[in-house]
Amino acid sequence: MSNLNKTTISMIINNEDYNDLNVETRQHLGDFLRDLGFKGTHLGCEQGACGACNVLVDGESVRSCLMLAVQANGKNITTVEGLNSSEMEIVKDCFVKNNAMQCGFCSSGMLMTTYEIVKSNRKYSREEIREMISGNYCRCTGYQAIVDAVEDSLNKINVGV
Amino acid sequence: MKSPAFSYYQAKDLADAINIKKSDDDAVILAGGQSLLPTLNMRLSSPSVLIDIGSINELKKIKVEDSYLIMGAMCSHSQIMNNKEVNEKFPILNKLLAQVAHPAIRNKGTHGGSIAYGDPAAELPAFAVLVNAEIILSGPDGERTVSAKEFYKGLFETAINSDEILTSVKYPINQNGMKLFFDEVTRRHGDYAMAGLVGSIKQNNKINEEINLVFFGTGDRPNEAPKTCEYLLKNEYNYSDIKDTLKNDIDFASDISSSSDMKAHLSAILVGRMMKELN
Repeated sequence: MSNLNKTTISMIINNEDYNDLNVETRQHLGDFLRDLGFKGTHLGCEQGACGACNVLVDGESVRSCLMLAVQANGKNITTVEGLNSSEMEIVKDCFVKNNAMQCGFCSSGMLMTTYEIVKSNRKYSREEIREMISGNYCRCTGYQAIVDAVEDSLNKINVGV
Repeated sequence: MKSPAFSYYQAKDLADAINIKKSDDDAVILAGGQSLLPTLNMRLSSPSVLIDIGSINELKKIKVEDSYLIMGAMCSHSQIMNNKEVNEKFPILNKLLAQVAHPAIRNKGTHGGSIAYGDPAAELPAFAVLVNAEIILSGPDGERTVSAKEFYKGLFETAINSDEILTSVKYPINQNGMKLFFDEVTRRHGDYAMAGLVGSIKQNNKINEEINLVFFGTGDRPNEAPKTCEYLLKNEYNYSDIKDTLKNDIDFASDISSSSDMKAHLSAILVGRMMKELN
């Protein structure tokens, strides 16, 4: 078999076309995005445990460390830099108002998971919010404030009402 | 935490994927990659080629056919959790899949990947064994069916030959009036279970006629417990007897979080919860 260690890919990132980019097949999407300058995607554990690197692929949250850049060929990617719908502006505002970040390392991943919660368009108890964000580690242990922020966001967006 | 180099091949269709697999023993199928990529990132495996079957649309379908619920290998856990047909036929799957990792991983992780990987701590292999699923494998000579009960051979070892690909899993919809149970004990939500149980009970006039137990996170594969099932048909649940009988059924393997005795303890507790819930 010919050497296919390198290839060329294209994708849409935050509504902009990126065409014919060279990539090593072994490179995961998180590193690929950061190399392109999307440094809002944070890499924590690179084994799928921490959730800091979550991005949206075709509108679904995905661990960017557990997806190869080549797998994202032809897909529509949203990083934290591109989370600017009116609903996500409300969410970001709620995160700030509730002090739902201390060092900020987990925040982009938390926002991706919050996007998933908002998208599902139903009500959530605090317990359910905790379950949803259980795949995102906050090592400052600011979970209480993060749950507050998600709850506040859902109230303000009137999800499921 | 960077993967070693490998070649990447995006299969156009199933025949294409099988061809590559047949030509290279070290080629590995990439489904959702949610178990494979961590092992690559940690350099625990170094395949020559990853054959990506992610663009083969025929593997992404959920169908009901001839009294089977059929899951294509590339159906994601999220897709299955949101499927009306699945929630009608096997409502317990939703409860079970909610314990498989987290939303971002369930969006990418696949049904076929979980069944084929054969992680003894995973929920789906145990469920497939419990409900007598049939696993469809495709190779150069066509398709063959392996019963889930015959599929798991040992630690991460399955009946899949090196030139075969798991294409779908068939669940018999008629479970003969069995009521199904699922529960597990984990240290953190979404983490692998220290011990988990899927079980079923069939009753006639409130008398238990048949009991099945399949444990996960307890040994080198999904563990059935025939002696314990037999005991439960004749006796009331009793923690210490069940724990002893389970030890006769299963060679409990310790892991980083718990001793083999702890696993037996948790398994006995889970059986107690099941008898309480289904009786």
